[in-house]
Amino acid sequence: MSWRAVARKDFRDARRSRALWGLSVLFVALSVLVAVAFATVDLIGGPDPSPTGLVTMLAGAVGTFVSLAAVITCYRSLAGERESGSVKILLALPHSRGEALLGKLLGRTAVLAIPVLGGLLIGVVVGSALLGAVAALPTVALLVVTLVFTLAYVSIVVGLSATTGTATRAATLAVAFFVVVELFWDVFVLALVYAASGFAVPTGGLPDWTFLLNQVPPTSSFVTTMSLFVPGSDAAAGAGGAAPFYLTPWVGVFVLAVWIVLPALLGYARFSAADL
Amino acid sequence: MAAIQLDGLVKQFGDVRALDGVDLSVHEGEVFGFLGPNGAGKSTTIDVLLDFVRPTSGTATVLGMDAQAESTAIRARTGVLPEGYHLYDRLTGRQHVEFVSESKGLDVDPVAALERVGVADAVDRRAGGYSTGMKQRLMLGMALLGDPDVLILDEPSSGLDPAGVRDVRAVVRREADRGTTVFFSSHILSQVEAVCDRVGILREGRVVAVDTVEGLREAVGTDATLRVTVDGEEPHLDAGVTAVRGVEGVTSVTRDGSTVVAHVEDRGKIEVLHAIEDAGLAIRDFETRAASLEELFLAYAEGDR
Repeated sequence: MSWRAVARKDFRDARRSRALWGLSVLFVALSVLVAVAFATVDLIGGPDPSPTGLVTMLAGAVGTFVSLAAVITCYRSLAGERESGSVKILLALPHSRGEALLGKLLGRTAVLAIPVLGGLLIGVVVGSALLGAVAALPTVALLVVTLVFTLAYVSIVVGLSATTGTATRAATLAVAFFVVVELFWDVFVLALVYAASGFAVPTGGLPDWTFLLNQVPPTSSFVTTMSLFVPGSDAAAGAGGAAPFYLTPWVGVFVLAVWIVLPALLGYARFSAADL
Repeated sequence: MAAIQLDGLVKQFGDVRALDGVDLSVHEGEVFGFLGPNGAGKSTTIDVLLDFVRPTSGTATVLGMDAQAESTAIRARTGVLPEGYHLYDRLTGRQHVEFVSESKGLDVDPVAALERVGVADAVDRRAGGYSTGMKQRLMLGMALLGDPDVLILDEPSSGLDPAGVRDVRAVVRREADRGTTVFFSSHILSQVEAVCDRVGILREGRVVAVDTVEGLREAVGTDATLRVTVDGEEPHLDAGVTAVRGVEGVTSVTRDGSTVVAHVEDRGKIEVLHAIEDAGLAIRDFETRAASLEELFLAYAEGDR
């Protein structure tokens, strides 16, 4: 249970970060703004805004915010400790490197999840009060899936941070991940489609496998997973009644799980072998 | 069983061979001074003991446990003041103590813990605002939590004022009295000399000497210095110098006005005084100074031996 001490320490430490407080205030404000706009502005929420639509609307704000906030609050998590030398305090104590990494992962997830889930909850409360109706199940789903998504993003950034001993390199890795996997992924997929069609614009719809590739960015798999619980939100492209697993929204759940496990393992492999 | 046992420890960092076959055995309950100039490999050796760094070859055990395979069990029984550490700037002294006690499964009172090292009044201030000396005291206080069996102190006096240095020495003595093994690295020798049962000298990644301070002194053969101020006229002064030169155990004699300075083995000191009186000089005053560890250390560290 050694990771608990690390998680608690890390939580206490990271929650005092000014950047985190700034981001938290921003997210709560954004969440309330989205809720009010959805409930009162016809152009956004339609003439008859539903509480389920409110949840979908709020979910749209989660992806970008959590990904950026995770990069900002977590890139230093291990690389920064190695660079400054505080890792010598952490690891002079009876924590294995795996426990230290796990503690970091869970501590930072808590630090990030509290303002995110709190912001969403405030948004739901404000929006539902204006609408006079609550979509209970979609709201619970939103909170749970957001928590899982937050864990995945923290795992990515902490995992990358664990591979290096300098904060600058950790920041570079985290930003590079964001740019390649979040910003330019669509372009990459389209380029593949173009190449697969013999370097011509494909006729007809996009091939099935693009759906799978499109799930790779964590923010996409978050949206796809949400569609499982909030019908009509962003229905999966190729999803039909008898579609194979890889064409159903469950792929989103699978991809999120991979993003939780894989970066943490990669980070552990590098961190546990490193000379500090 | 040895508290710390190093056998043929080698560590290669790229082109640099930081440790070049370190063999060392530290007995349980002793205060061991680990000496060497900066860059000799002291911190690398300690990093291996704590599994911060993996040796290229050779083995290290602490309390009979392998430093790599059983590192967490070792660290559960060890208190560490590492070199080049950095406190968590945003956490208070109290939170630092709580982190250590939680990590080691202890139940300690943070204020009492920090009283031991003289920073109890800063218990609720963030460590980022501590002075260098306060940081070092907090870190020492954290190392002492839970009464560890082994205390590893890497350059514990760096950043401390003379009062702090004295306090560190008192802490080491108190821990030693409790039976704690203390492994204490330093390049400032006077601090080691005063508290250590034995010292080991590291040079360029190798242990070049291990002995008690007395034993090293004998081995090096650096003599005591005896300064005798006399009343007397020429030619008695010159006769006195000649007489002293003839005493067994005297290696050199010089005269500075009416002061005779002799380098002499301990057992020859009285003979020197007799020889001066026999030469017809009256002794007005004399002082004797033992060879400092500094001189011994330089003799080893500079490779004279």
